[in-house]
Amino acid sequence: MNRRDFVKSALITGAAISLPAGLDPILTALQAAQGPDLAVVRGTPPARITRAAVDALGGMRRFVSRGDVVVVKPNIGWDRTPEYAANTNPDVVAAVVRLCFEAGAKRVKVFDHPVSDARRTYKQSGIADAAAAAGAAVAFMDDRKFKDMRINGLTLKTWPLYSEVIEADKVINVPIAKTHGIARLTLGMKNWMGVMGGWRGRIHQRIDESLVDLARFIKPALTVLDAVRILTDNGPQGGDLADVKLLNTVVAGTDAVAVDAFGATLFGMKPADLGCVRIGHQTRLGSMDLAGMQIRRINL
Amino acid sequence: MTKIRRLTQAVFLLIFLWLFLQTESKGANELGYPVKIFLDADPLIFITTALSTRQLDFPLLLALIVILATVLLGRVFCGWVCPLGTLHNLAGTLKKRRPSAKPLNAYRWKYYILIFLLVSSVFTLQPAGVMDPIALLIRSLSLAVYPMVQYATVSVFNTLYTWQLPLVTDGSEWVYGILKKGFLSFQQPFFNQAAFTGLVFLGILALNLRERRFWCKYLCPLGALLGLLSRYALLNRSVSEGCDGCGVCVETCQGSAGPDRKDQWIKAECLACLNCDDACPKNAVRFGFSAKAPDASLDLGRRRVIGSAMAGLIAVPALRITPLRKAGAADPQLIRPPGSREEREFLRRCVKCGECMKVCITNGLQPALLEADLEGIWSPVLVPRIGYCEYRCTLCGQVCPTGAIQKLSLEEKAKVKIGLAMIDKGRCLPFAHGMSCIVCEEVCPTPKKAIWFEEVRVRDRGGPERILKQPHVDLELCIGCGICETKCPVLGRPAITVTSIGESRSRDNQLLLS
Repeated sequence: MNRRDFVKSALITGAAISLPAGLDPILTALQAAQGPDLAVVRGTPPARITRAAVDALGGMRRFVSRGDVVVVKPNIGWDRTPEYAANTNPDVVAAVVRLCFEAGAKRVKVFDHPVSDARRTYKQSGIADAAAAAGAAVAFMDDRKFKDMRINGLTLKTWPLYSEVIEADKVINVPIAKTHGIARLTLGMKNWMGVMGGWRGRIHQRIDESLVDLARFIKPALTVLDAVRILTDNGPQGGDLADVKLLNTVVAGTDAVAVDAFGATLFGMKPADLGCVRIGHQTRLGSMDLAGMQIRRINL
Repeated sequence: MTKIRRLTQAVFLLIFLWLFLQTESKGANELGYPVKIFLDADPLIFITTALSTRQLDFPLLLALIVILATVLLGRVFCGWVCPLGTLHNLAGTLKKRRPSAKPLNAYRWKYYILIFLLVSSVFTLQPAGVMDPIALLIRSLSLAVYPMVQYATVSVFNTLYTWQLPLVTDGSEWVYGILKKGFLSFQQPFFNQAAFTGLVFLGILALNLRERRFWCKYLCPLGALLGLLSRYALLNRSVSEGCDGCGVCVETCQGSAGPDRKDQWIKAECLACLNCDDACPKNAVRFGFSAKAPDASLDLGRRRVIGSAMAGLIAVPALRITPLRKAGAADPQLIRPPGSREEREFLRRCVKCGECMKVCITNGLQPALLEADLEGIWSPVLVPRIGYCEYRCTLCGQVCPTGAIQKLSLEEKAKVKIGLAMIDKGRCLPFAHGMSCIVCEEVCPTPKKAIWFEEVRVRDRGGPERILKQPHVDLELCIGCGICETKCPVLGRPAITVTSIGESRSRDNQLLLS
């Protein structure tokens, strides 16, 4: 895809998603026929439960086709080592990368736009080494590849986003579950801040709407929420092991709202306590009605 | 012999430049290479720091080796090792090879400079770094030359990238990728005074157009120090009967050694380049080991020596009567890197080499202009609007050659305050404008966040009442790292700023009772 085509398709995509989301429920129903809405797997080690969660949804082949270029987007936001639960667990990221290759992916890219210095976050989080060992192309974000996108959302109209995410055949979100000062929790939708360019601190003024806009625009094929360790206080950066809780859990699903809705329950919260989940549900990006969902729970 | 010397010079220059490029984080908290060995090996920095601090708590082995080598062999460091000297050789090739104006023969100047520096360091001043060749070179490369090279290179590749030409852009991106791995900086460095530092450096190199190695012959205080040490060197030069006084050796001499004067050859000005030996058509020049005393005495003139010494003495009070030294009147923006010693002790040690600024991961460490007055020019100061102090990074203390910034463990670093953050309620979004924003709290790196929220009920113009989080700084927990200021979305003048008050290194610059 050359640049001209890409810009064209980005514009078309932007226009398409600004239409009323009339087709979404049908698509959701179609997907439901292929597996449960959510898979929640508990156990050790992280790589094994990640694999089990994706398998429970019908396996990675449901999401990744042969020859696909896949972006796997973990949270590599902070200069912290894995035990502090500030970044996605490196073993979870590596497991997702491996699953993509097993499903026939041509290329798997792993990157994030961190808050702390990228050299340190990539290294200290353990993600760069783990993902590279799994065969992924791990790269720092290239400033030239942030392009203005017409998001046409509730709050975000245009914003520079990382073009490799939009160009990819499939996008898989691999966030970690943590507390956050204003969003209350940072789960899947919040993780898309990591593909924003520009002076992104401004989005906190209307964070919940902005996150829904991003999630709707990026449309990940799959979300794999890392709750091996969760950060229960002083998030999203943490730094105190006393705030870290070991849950040995991975939650996977195709509905970004549903994954985040379930994520809230890990912290003893209700899905509607999270603004982005509530708005995502109201605007039919997905569902927060956990009671009406088919949730596959596995203990390993 | 010339070939061997040039090869040696090239090897040392390449080692120097390679270590310079390694003075950058790769993500781990260690660099993995001894990036400051040239500074460690610098006898001028070693002696002036020892004098100004009256301490020997920094690496001294390499400097002692250079001193020993000079005592035995003369100024081999200047002629064979010094990376700035090699750059002077390279710049000198631009000079036209014609019998030029008579050489200035002002080799005494550098001794006056040296006397000034030594005397002022005896009285606790440390100005040597301003003119020390190694410090000057690293500073110039860090602040000006390397950022310029980076900017130019990236611009070229970005232009090729935007053209998106088949093959050409693929090729250029491939080359760019290689350069990014091994040569370019991770991000474009930006420094205050970059152009000024660069012009000074360019000027120093341009002196070679007047006379080759002008700096080394007439200005370099390290050269002067090594000259003094080399006076009784065992490597001596003899000229046999065959000499017919043709004067070829004068043209090739890299110093001001007066090689045509045979026995009156000035050993302290000889860079041991051995050019005269190579060039002599009669093969009359010979270097060999002997215990010969120096023939030409170094006559600096008593009045001038006293004058230089007086200047060094007077400089001490002259630089210290600034109001910035008065308790409570220090520049609030003078935020020193973590691990910095108390300000007076800091200035006694800092040689303004720029290593800490080169290695600073966020580019926040900048050369001071007059924040610490003239005495502290080009010393490092954290400018949070440019870059903050990364919580788990201790690189600046690892590269400091004189311990002005002490090497800290991560545990020690977590306890060091370099200042305190305070909120400007007139600009802060939740305070002044009823808008929600939590960026300062989100990025605050202390395990228990130093920024906490108070939930208040606010009402927008005409809107319904709602609950908003307003940030406050916990002064006990704040370490002054400045990330809140760097990331504050209120651009221009940020709504949260750090000043040096509360810095652990100072006894007086404190706010809290305990």
